[in-house]
Amino acid sequence: MSDYVNQVTHPVTNSRTTNKESAIPRSLLGSLIGPTWIWLVLFMLLPMLLMFLMTFRTEAFNWREWEFTFENYRKFIETPSYHRLLLRSVWMAFVVAALSVVAAYPVAYVVAFQAGRWRNLMIMLLIVPAMSSFLLRVLAWRIILGSSGLLSTVLLGLGIIDEAAPILLYTPTAVIITLVYVWLPFAALPIAVALNQIEPNLLEAASDLGAKPYATFLRITLPLSMPGVIAAFLFVFIPTLGEYVTPALVGGPEGVMIGNIIWDQFSRALNWPMGALLSMAMLLIVLIPAGFISLYSKISRERAGNYD
Amino acid sequence: MTNNRLRNLPGYVYLALVLIFLYLPIALLFVLSFNDSAVMAFPLRGFTWHWYQELLGAGELWQATRNSFIVAFVSAFFATLLGAMAAFAIVRYRFRWRDSLLALSSIPLVMPSIVLGAGLLILFRSLMGFELSLGLITASHILISIPACMLIVMARLAGFSKNLEEAAMDLGATPWQTLLRVTLPISLPALLAAFLVAFTTSFDEYAMTTLITGTETTLPVYLYSMLRFPRKLPIVLALGSIIIVGTSVIIILAEWLRSADTTANKNSAVEVDR
Amino acid sequence: MNIFYRKLFLLIPFTLVALFLTACNAASAPDAESNEPLLILEWTGYEATEYPEYFLPFTEKYGETINDVLEYSFFGDDSEALARMQAGVEADLVHPCRSWWGLYVDQGLVQPIDTSRLTNWDGVPDELKELGQFNGEQYFIPWDWGYESILVRNDLVQDVPDSWSDLWDPQYEGRVSMIDASDVAFIIGSLSLGFDPWNTTPEQNEAVKQQLIALRPNLLNYWVDYTETYDLPASGDAWVVAGAWQDAYGYLTDEGYDVSYIDPVEGRIGWMCGYAIGSKAKNIDRTYEFLNAALDPQSQANMANDFWYGVSNFDAIPMIDEKVIELLNVSDFDSFFNETVFYQPLTEEQRQQFSAIWNEVKASQ
Repeated sequence: MSDYVNQVTHPVTNSRTTNKESAIPRSLLGSLIGPTWIWLVLFMLLPMLLMFLMTFRTEAFNWREWEFTFENYRKFIETPSYHRLLLRSVWMAFVVAALSVVAAYPVAYVVAFQAGRWRNLMIMLLIVPAMSSFLLRVLAWRIILGSSGLLSTVLLGLGIIDEAAPILLYTPTAVIITLVYVWLPFAALPIAVALNQIEPNLLEAASDLGAKPYATFLRITLPLSMPGVIAAFLFVFIPTLGEYVTPALVGGPEGVMIGNIIWDQFSRALNWPMGALLSMAMLLIVLIPAGFISLYSKISRERAGNYD
Repeated sequence: MTNNRLRNLPGYVYLALVLIFLYLPIALLFVLSFNDSAVMAFPLRGFTWHWYQELLGAGELWQATRNSFIVAFVSAFFATLLGAMAAFAIVRYRFRWRDSLLALSSIPLVMPSIVLGAGLLILFRSLMGFELSLGLITASHILISIPACMLIVMARLAGFSKNLEEAAMDLGATPWQTLLRVTLPISLPALLAAFLVAFTTSFDEYAMTTLITGTETTLPVYLYSMLRFPRKLPIVLALGSIIIVGTSVIIILAEWLRSADTTANKNSAVEVDR
Repeated sequence: MNIFYRKLFLLIPFTLVALFLTACNAASAPDAESNEPLLILEWTGYEATEYPEYFLPFTEKYGETINDVLEYSFFGDDSEALARMQAGVEADLVHPCRSWWGLYVDQGLVQPIDTSRLTNWDGVPDELKELGQFNGEQYFIPWDWGYESILVRNDLVQDVPDSWSDLWDPQYEGRVSMIDASDVAFIIGSLSLGFDPWNTTPEQNEAVKQQLIALRPNLLNYWVDYTETYDLPASGDAWVVAGAWQDAYGYLTDEGYDVSYIDPVEGRIGWMCGYAIGSKAKNIDRTYEFLNAALDPQSQANMANDFWYGVSNFDAIPMIDEKVIELLNVSDFDSFFNETVFYQPLTEEQRQQFSAIWNEVKASQ
């Protein structure tokens, strides 16, 4: 290639232990991140900016008139039920994310280490259920957990209960079960991807040196797959926080989450300013794990550097 | 070998249980699509093809399904492309606004998509005067899929050392050749995963799409709207069953072809990193 | 040369965006021709392209070319339709329900209808016509209506309720499924306390809120989609469903379930939806042609027989199945109008109030 590329690449390749930059020249950087930046600005930042401005308005559509107000903020601060729902949603999202990761890890492990040539098929098998509508799958859970559903019938047959009743249905537990069901495959994917890149030699070396399987797992496999685990956790936690379909269909009165109230504000109530404000509050809560992402990427970057 | 298989057994059993857990509700939907009643409850009322026959005549439903497939495919492709490129840049480079890019790109995951939908409706329709179309829906689906794609590809690239890229460059490969022939094959499993996640995200997106939908709509929007007529719901179950069976057949077929191919050529792209 | 490539790569993303925006805008090529298709903002399930029998002379006339004269934009909830209209979607016809009608009129989104151009207008009883009138003008054409009342599994309860206030009866503990909609919930709460739902005082609002919160021990869930009004009583999860429509009752009866549909002493709630012409409609002649087809007795009867909904053109009643007439309770006109509590259009303040109350109820512990 020409002098230009040499200029850029050689300092990097010559000092690879100190410089963590890639061998690929920086000239490509603009093309690599440009499209994503444009997308983020045009389809997210601008609409979000509008929605942020809207929290200071009372009306959503007529932008020619402008009346600045803190009314929505006052209402938000004065309504303790909003705060409680936010907390409940954070808790539910945490439980769902933790359970999904725990349940998905062995799946990812099998897919990454034991599936062999069936690996891609396994991944596909995990994803196929997601091809049927989310709504339909949640409806199916309503049937499974309901009075005449599988769970109730089985328990009735075993004599554990003596009257057909909705088991777990219309409780927060039903929301958790259903969401773990929905997210499990999506949590397994990033973990499997992370596990997949662990050098098998490393594991073999450990067992050659006499490490017990669980020790190998705890000290090598698990730490090395942490990037995937964290990704999977966030992957589940974040969308669950704003979830509204599942609580609405199987959650019952105690399972209401902040997503339901936001949804109400946007749909039935058509009170977009308040809906926007509630979403921004949720965003603030999530900024904490978002900070986590950047921390994790720093760590993994350093680790990537250490491999050299 | 036997020892190895025995050790793997608990894993397989667990995987089997998970698959049962995943497919049980699907199987239920499948069974109900043949049930001679619009009420989704037990006991079943007898077998019928009725819902499949009605499905044949449901033109708008098919149209919406077709739109959904197109939107999902196009948006998944571009989301994977954009997400992978950005992920590569983030893992391999230090640059200005890198952390902001990382933080901002996770926002579509956080924001309830209905908020984005509302913002997009006001921005593109009220303020900029665009007609609502599948194009805008596709563009916004790309946006909401980018974070997932980025996360997945980053997780793959993060632990993988850049030595191979450097080696390729030292051996005289151009940057683009290196990206295409070294980095791309390495990230292929992640790209596949990212594409699948993006595809299903788009295929199931309702809250945002319903606000920016124009004269052409996607399947979830049509479907939610159809809930007003419970007596037609089994038609949707029939459609869902067909989609599931169809995708499964295609996947198994593709996998069968591929496995025939890889036994002949053992160094498949996916195995390069080993 | 490398600088050139670098710039070229930078251009790629911009080209992509430009392509997308072109795609977004492809459909918006200005076309002042009156032959442009009608844009109808509609619920799914009513589209003439799919169900020609609900818009008969019109769909027969255009036959195969129906897709060239009609275009549909679907919505799943009234609020979406209003939001899209407010955001500037220029629909020729829109099909919202009565709670929302006043908001369309107030915001100038719809235009008055010249009823002299409606050929089937005489079949619509005056009481129904009045529901669509605002400021002395006819803005909305009532088209389909139905009830919201209490659906009960007789075999599971001890006593069948006969009043909205019976929802609070402790014998239904944990078995009441309540509609998840702020306006209906408020109406039910007010009726159970004997208030006029559309003219409440602040004290009464507070009382309604407390009343709705007090329903909590009896609640199984808040239902959000209509399939629940079929499935929950069928499975026995819910014994009492508040806000169910008459079609759920009809279907469950046909299926052999022992259910009844209550005529509460305070009256059944009546929903009503209808068409209005958008204020920026381009092809007025064709909108009237469409409305005439929608009100055609045969079209209305076909709709009623399929959906088991009410019709606004009572000339259609002789063509409607006996069973549907019974479900709709329209054999006696006077009692029908006197005993049905039709939704009133809400003002913006009322809508905000109702939804604030409902939010607090749902978020309460």
